[in-house]
Amino acid sequence: MIIRKISHLLCNYENITRLFAGACLLLFIAGILLLPLPYSEKQLYPKTFDRNSSLDPYDRGGPPFTQVTIVSQYPENSPTAGLVTSYLTPFSLFLSQVTLHLGTTIVSHPGGIIDEILYNTRGLDTVVEATILFIAFAIASYIYRKG
Amino acid sequence: MIDLIGGVPLFVLEFGDELVYFTPYTITLFLLALTFTVLVLISRPEKQIDIAFGGDAYRAKEISISEMRFRRFMAIACGLATMGAMVTGDIFNFTLFTAMVGITNVGIVAAVKSPHVQDAAYQYGLVALAATVPLFAGAAVYAAVTGSLSMIELMKGTVPAVPLIAKGMLMLGVIGEGMAPFYAAKAEMFRAPGAPYVIMCSLSSLLIFLRVVEIVMLG
Repeated sequence: MIIRKISHLLCNYENITRLFAGACLLLFIAGILLLPLPYSEKQLYPKTFDRNSSLDPYDRGGPPFTQVTIVSQYPENSPTAGLVTSYLTPFSLFLSQVTLHLGTTIVSHPGGIIDEILYNTRGLDTVVEATILFIAFAIASYIYRKG
Repeated sequence: MIDLIGGVPLFVLEFGDELVYFTPYTITLFLLALTFTVLVLISRPEKQIDIAFGGDAYRAKEISISEMRFRRFMAIACGLATMGAMVTGDIFNFTLFTAMVGITNVGIVAAVKSPHVQDAAYQYGLVALAATVPLFAGAAVYAAVTGSLSMIELMKGTVPAVPLIAKGMLMLGVIGEGMAPFYAAKAEMFRAPGAPYVIMCSLSSLLIFLRVVEIVMLG
């Protein structure tokens, strides 16, 4: 009987979102109650923040096509990690000279200053992230054109 | 000492810090996803026919070629994402592939030109959108507590133990990305014509669930 009631509630798909929101809420409350969590000091890709750099928080230092030191999990697998693979476009360079907030404009500079691309740290992630974006654009454009 | 949950990795492919490894368990899941993706690639879609109950009347639904082509593209993308999630050896990479499976599932059903199906797909899309929060938060807690994202390191036990809440977040995120009951919009989705493509939603969610079970047992 109770199963019938539950499935009757769930067959209205608008309740699904509410159910999921409730589940997230419960989990996050549990998460807050379980604080504090231990923090490992030995982190991958650590960096220091230089608040005076216009590329903060993406600045790890180093001119283009040189290598900076990066702590990675398997250094033997990634000999090029930390190699500065990108440079600023003239417009980005101009922005970086006049403001301190270029690091916050990640949306308007896709790929230019993303840590993974810039310092060649996590290659496969970069590919998958871009793929997710392309898939999302494909769906949106298909629905827009046919809708 | 490697904890033998999925078996000993037979083959490890190195993408920098992200190791893709094949254990007997992940190979099985990978082959399932691969087989079904090939099936989607070569099979012809169904033509859905509604029969009026108690009579001879029936009507066939017209489906445009472009719609089918788009849904096939989405189903293949979903298959590729599933394959990636099956064999990846990195927590963050796994969450990315899972998010991709979620969004391609939306794409498979959102292309159907039926208001009812599209409503269901919209609701499912909202859940998939919200599910990225616990999913990536879970990966973030993994990284903060263990200081590593590699599943091989988790297996070896060289890093601190993963707290239960991180596992819960990862699990809830994966469930939201496409698992019963949160894709129970599925019941409505299945009114969508186009047999092999819609089944991809089910198969990918099943495989991702099997994989996340292995992952939460690692740390």
